[in-house]
This record gives sequence, C-alpha cells and structure tokens, in this order.
Amino acid sequence: MAEVEARRIEGNPPATARLAVRTILQERREASVAAMLVIVFALLSAASPFFLTERNLFNVARQLSVVAIVALGQALVIIAGGIDLSVGSVIGLAAVLAAMATDATGSPALGIVAALATGGATGIVNGMLVTRARINPFITTLGTLSVARGTALLVTNGNPRAFDNWAAFLGGGRIFNVPVQFLLLILLAACMWIFAVRTRWGRDAYAVGDNARAARLAGLNVVFTRNMVFTISGLLAGLGGLLLAGMLANANPNLGLGYELDVIAAVILGGVALTGGRGSIGGVVIGAALMGLLRNAFVLLNVSGYWQTITIGLVVIIAVGADSFNRKTEDD
Amino acid sequence: MQAGARTRAPVLSVRGIRKAFGGTAVLHGIDLDLAAGEVLALVGENGAGKSTLLNIICGALRADGGSIRLDGTERHWGGPRHAMQAGIAFVHQELSVIRSLSVAENIRLGDYCARRTGFVDRAAMRADAAARLAELGAQHVRPELRAGRLGTADQQFVEIAKSLTGDLRVLILDEPTSSLTPFEADALFAVMRRLAARDVAIVFISHRLEEVFAVADRIAVLRDGRLVSDRPAATSRREAVIADMTGRGGLVAPSARPQPSTDVVLAATALRDRGWLGPIELTVRAGEIIGVFGLVGAGRSELLELLAGLRRPGGGTVRLFDGGGLPGSPGEAWARRIAFLPEDRKAAGILPNLSLLENMLLSWRRTMPAWLRLTREQRAAAPLLRRLAVRASSPRQRLRTLSGGNQQKVVLGRCLAVAPRLLLLDEPTRGVDIATKAEIYTTIGELAADGMAVIFASSELPEVLALATRVMVLARGQQRLLAENAGLEEAAVLSAAFRFQTEPAEA
Repeated sequence: MAEVEARRIEGNPPATARLAVRTILQERREASVAAMLVIVFALLSAASPFFLTERNLFNVARQLSVVAIVALGQALVIIAGGIDLSVGSVIGLAAVLAAMATDATGSPALGIVAALATGGATGIVNGMLVTRARINPFITTLGTLSVARGTALLVTNGNPRAFDNWAAFLGGGRIFNVPVQFLLLILLAACMWIFAVRTRWGRDAYAVGDNARAARLAGLNVVFTRNMVFTISGLLAGLGGLLLAGMLANANPNLGLGYELDVIAAVILGGVALTGGRGSIGGVVIGAALMGLLRNAFVLLNVSGYWQTITIGLVVIIAVGADSFNRKTEDD
Repeated sequence: MQAGARTRAPVLSVRGIRKAFGGTAVLHGIDLDLAAGEVLALVGENGAGKSTLLNIICGALRADGGSIRLDGTERHWGGPRHAMQAGIAFVHQELSVIRSLSVAENIRLGDYCARRTGFVDRAAMRADAAARLAELGAQHVRPELRAGRLGTADQQFVEIAKSLTGDLRVLILDEPTSSLTPFEADALFAVMRRLAARDVAIVFISHRLEEVFAVADRIAVLRDGRLVSDRPAATSRREAVIADMTGRGGLVAPSARPQPSTDVVLAATALRDRGWLGPIELTVRAGEIIGVFGLVGAGRSELLELLAGLRRPGGGTVRLFDGGGLPGSPGEAWARRIAFLPEDRKAAGILPNLSLLENMLLSWRRTMPAWLRLTREQRAAAPLLRRLAVRASSPRQRLRTLSGGNQQKVVLGRCLAVAPRLLLLDEPTRGVDIATKAEIYTTIGELAADGMAVIFASSELPEVLALATRVMVLARGQQRLLAENAGLEEAAVLSAAFRFQTEPAEA
C-alpha cells in the first residue's frame, strides 16, 4: 500500500534471497514444519522401496485423516485461546451412538446425524460451561472427556458394536483408490482455511485468542466466538468418530482413546501458539501430515512402535523449542 | 550514612556508549556522569533510546561499544544480577512484584532470610522488610500483607525497598509515575529525595515535564540516540527542554477551539453506577470536548465505562443522540457509533499478534458483511493511516512490532473507523511521547470541529486544560466541578480534585 507512511522502517528489509528464506522460516513456523515434512518424505523415499507406492501413500493418507480433521477444529479452539481435551472421548461416544442409532432405526443416515449431533452437542456444552459457568477450558473439557467416555462405555456396556452399512463408506471407502476420508480432509481443510482467513467469524477467533479483553472492548461478541469454536471442534470430533467406526466397520466405546494428545500435538507442531492468537490452518494440516509420515516411517523401517511414540514427543518439543528460540532472538 | 566528601565525585561514569539493533543504530555514543546524591531526569520521545541506555547501564543489554565506570573502575556486566550486586538497581515501569507473596517475601525474594537448614526465618524477614520500608518513609506498608493487595504506589515502594541494600549506589526508575496519582507521585518524590540525601544517585525517565522540574537536579535530553543537552534543572526553561526533545519549539495545543452546536449528543441526569460513582449531571453537544479530571480512584474510568456499556447503571437517566439510553454492552455501543478507547493499551487495547490493519478495522468489521474483502479493508484503512500518520513499514506488520505511540494511534484509528458520534477516550496519551501527544491532540481537536462529541479522561492536568472545551472534576465518584475551560484556573481544578483528600469529614 503506497498510502502508508514508511518514514521509519523497523529493521532492514532482507537484502538477499538467503535472508528472505530465513525471515520466512522465522516468521512462519509452518514453513519450517513443511521443510521437515519434505526432508522426512525424501529420506523415506530413499530408505524404503515401499514408501513411494500408491498403496502405501494412500494408507498414510487414510491414517492421518481423522487426526487432521479433528485437529482443524482443535486449531480453531486453541487459536481462540482455549483447548479442547474432550475430542478423543467424543470420537468414541459419537461412534457408538452412530452405531446404536443405525441399529435402532435401520437408517445409516440417522447414524450420521447421531454422530454429528453428539459432537455438536458436546461442543455446545463445552462452550456453555466455559462462557456461562466461566470454568476454565482445560478443566471443562477434562470433565467432558471423562463424562463422554463413561457414557460411551455405559450405553454399550463396554461392548463394541458392528457398524457395517453404507455410512461406513465415509470412513472405509475409496474413490478412484483415494480414501474418502482423505478427500473429506482436503475439502474440510479448504473450508476451514477460508473460514479462518476470509470471514469475520474466523478473524474474531484470532482476536479473542490474542487479547480477549481488547476484543470485548472493541465490540466483538466474545461469548459467541468461544461457543462457536467449541461447537465446531465438537462437530469435527463427532465426524472423526463416524469415520473411524466406518473404517473399522466397528464402533468400540474405547475408540479415540488418547487421540486428544495426537490432535493437540499436530496443532502445536503446525505452528499454532498454545497462548492463542497465532497459527494457520495450513500449518495444522502440515503438522498432522508430518506426524502421519513419522508413524509410517517406523512401520516401513520395522522399528519398534515404542520408538515411534518417543520420536513424536521429541519432534514436538524440538519444533516448539526452535520456535521460541527464534522468537527470543527476534525480541532482543 | 557516608560523609559529604564524596558528594561531588561521579559514582557512575558512562563514555561513548553505542548500540545498534539489526543494523539500526539506537545509541550513537552517549557520555553521561552521575554524582552521588544527584537526581537526574532522562527525558526524550519514545524511541529516543532512553530505555536502551538504562538497560545497558543496569546490565540487561550489552553495549556495542563504550565503557561504564562505577566508582572509577571500569565494569563489564555479565547480566542485571551482576550489576545489582555492584549496587545498580533498576525499577521497571511494569512492576514485577509477585502478587501472591507477602511484602516481606517480595523484599527478600530469593533468600527469604532462610537459615542454614533451609527454613525461612519469617520474623527476621519481616523485621528487615519493616526496617527497609521505614528507611523509605513508607511505614504504612505492612510487611505481612499480600503484595497483590497493595496499590501501584505501594508496590513501587516494595520494589525500591527490594533494591535497598547497604551498597546501593545507583537507582534507576523507568517512568515511575506513569500510573500514579499526583498525590502518590509526591510521596515517591519524597522517597527519591530521601535516598538522594543518603548519597544514592538516581536516574529516572519521565514524560511529565512538571515532575521533572519538580524533582530533578539535572535534566538530560536524548533525541534519536544522541545526548542533545544536559543541564541543571534550576536554571533551565521548560520550552528549551521541549525544543531539545522534539527538535523544534513548543508543544502544539489545538489552536481553534471548536464551536459546539446545539445538537445534544448525551444528556445524563442523576446518573449513577452500582458502586460509588455519581450522581453525574452532564449534557454534551456535538463539537464539545469534555475533559474529565480526577485522581486515580476518582471514578474517571468508571464514568467512561458506564457510557461505553461496560458497566451497569445504578440509577438516573441518560438520553443519547439516537434517542436511546445507555448501551447494554460494548458491542451495542460500537453498533450505535459510540467508540471507546480503553486506558490500558497493552491489556485492553491491542491485539499484539494481529496485523496493524486488523487491529484498526476490528470494530469497523462489525458494520460490514462477514465475508471479508481485502480491497474494501484497504480502502477503509488508508485515510486513517494517513490522517494519524502511523509509522509502519506495512499495514500487514504485527502490531507488537510498532512503538507505543504508533500502537496508540492504531487503537485510536479503530475508534475513528466507525465514524463515531460519541468518542470516549480514557487516558488517550498515556505512555506516548510528546510529538505523538501533540498529533493526537490535533486530531481530537479536528474531530470535534467536524461535529463529533468527545469525552476524555486524564490524570494529567495540563492535558485536560490544553484539550478540553469543558472540564469535569471527579473526586471519589462525586462530580465536584463542571465548567468551561476558558478562564478556568488550574488551582480551582486541583482544589476540586483534592477536596476529599483534605476534608475527609465531608463524606
């Protein structure tokens, strides 16, 4: 914009291409995670002949889809300054309620509705507890995590239920060999990206997460924004439950156990600040993809799954650590 | 304590200090001497390099060149702790008392008078804290109190008491009075003089020239990283100091006072909040600038918050320009074109990680479709950026990378973007340098001339008298004075504001 007065420019514009690259890496964490993704991809291509096969790549895509889809909602919650620990349990509850609704009515369509309604309702409850009862999001969703899991176990008496009907196509099906889950992920990521960047509601989530008090004083509806992000997160977790149940043709009340940690790790890895206000949807998808690739790497290279868990933990710590190191040097 | 013999010897001697950040030079070789028992005021606009210089002196930053001598020996600080051990203490503008600990624990933070066994000697800690506070003349601060329950001024005393060891040589205060009432500031000045009498050398930064002249022995002016003048306060003129700071003469006050129209924007009768504010009787016409003056705790912010929909009224009637009453929420206020600029920029004004553009258009967006269009936003922001002369490299720049004055302009721009009928400003120039202050005054004057009604609250009397067409004085929530500014005596305003302080029986 030419109109802007540029009388005093803070810092110097990057003079060389190398400097520019460094600036991009420092400014946008998702760029450094994307670089890591490319490196892991290249290494795996070299290390394993099976990696670059269509079959394996689509498998990776299928395995990372649910985490990535749920992470889209989680990202919005964290950007708005909250956190949603209940997503793993919502996956389980939505899966069993979808199966039960289908069994009871014979209509898989109602099963889909039940899964989404379960997620949406849990999200609304989370939002209400945070905004109306003013309970801290961590505590609120820790509570609903427990309640939702318990409910899933209670209604099924702990027994898995079959989920084998046309609605399972969403989770287990393929179109031209591409997993339907993955197509859904791409579609939802695109929608979420547009929502976050191009709509007032999305920007309000950033504003509320960056400084809730300032946002309220500037006339933003903070209560609505918080309810909205929890509801979206719940809805996507409900969808995640439907997809997982469909993929396994089976709705287990323990489905999604511990998923919240994978989801949050993907969000953080993708450059979303846990303190709110910063992050991008693109980064979250890249973060989830990196986690998926790492998981695949251990399978292909035949390394113990225990190492996989350790490595993912280390990658998150290193990525976030590098980020705060960068920001520190920038502040000095 | 020490004999008067060393009073004239420089305690601290700084030579040729240079510093650059990322290729941009911030300090170009500063020479400064400080004698024991001397109070030096360091003044200059935001970005002049004051804080950088002091941070180098106290070891928080490393200089690119130059030397620091303490008592004649050249020193190289390994960090603030090192400098502190050598007798240089820094009290930051944002106080760092730990609110959940007691005053005594704060003062002895880190060692807590612990015995060898590791157990804390509470009695010794309390006695030491009490002794140090007494030395400052702040006996009223009780050592066992939780620090979070203290007012800002008392927290500041705790911070100073923390640094008050036998070998304190230099005390540095960064804008110590920025959140104090004039009354509290006087108490702080008394403490500063007391320490100076003990041969402690004191450096403080201030934007308020009145207090600089009242308390300092010497005034040093920094501009663009250079020391432009350093002179005794007793023989200096205010105008000369301002000229040194800005590079030109005089603080520009709005030249033409706008003529109020007959258009009533706000009419309040017997307005109260649910606490102790009110009754307020106020009628504001388009084109008027009402300056609300009072001490901290007088109800200035509360009155503005009531009008901005942040507080529930407790009684009285209000009729606004659109025929409605008080807004019920900030959202409603903005929708009805009542804009509010909060007092605490950092906590309540800015979104530090969002861009300049988003910060400015935050409230304006409520009046637009939810689908955002970049061209529409740029078109809306361009005239505001120009009018307020915001200095930034790009509207995409994160707001936290801008200086305080420019951040304030952006938050003011957020108000102007909705073309408000009623503009509510709480401390519009807090923590803003003199040049930016003048720009903000000019802008407010122009807005009123265009028919906007402005109500602003300020704890700086010169600001109220320079800007307002009418002045309201509050004291403990009571409306003490409402008068035309023209012909109003400064003494009358002050006595109205202080009346409760001197006549407590009147409650």
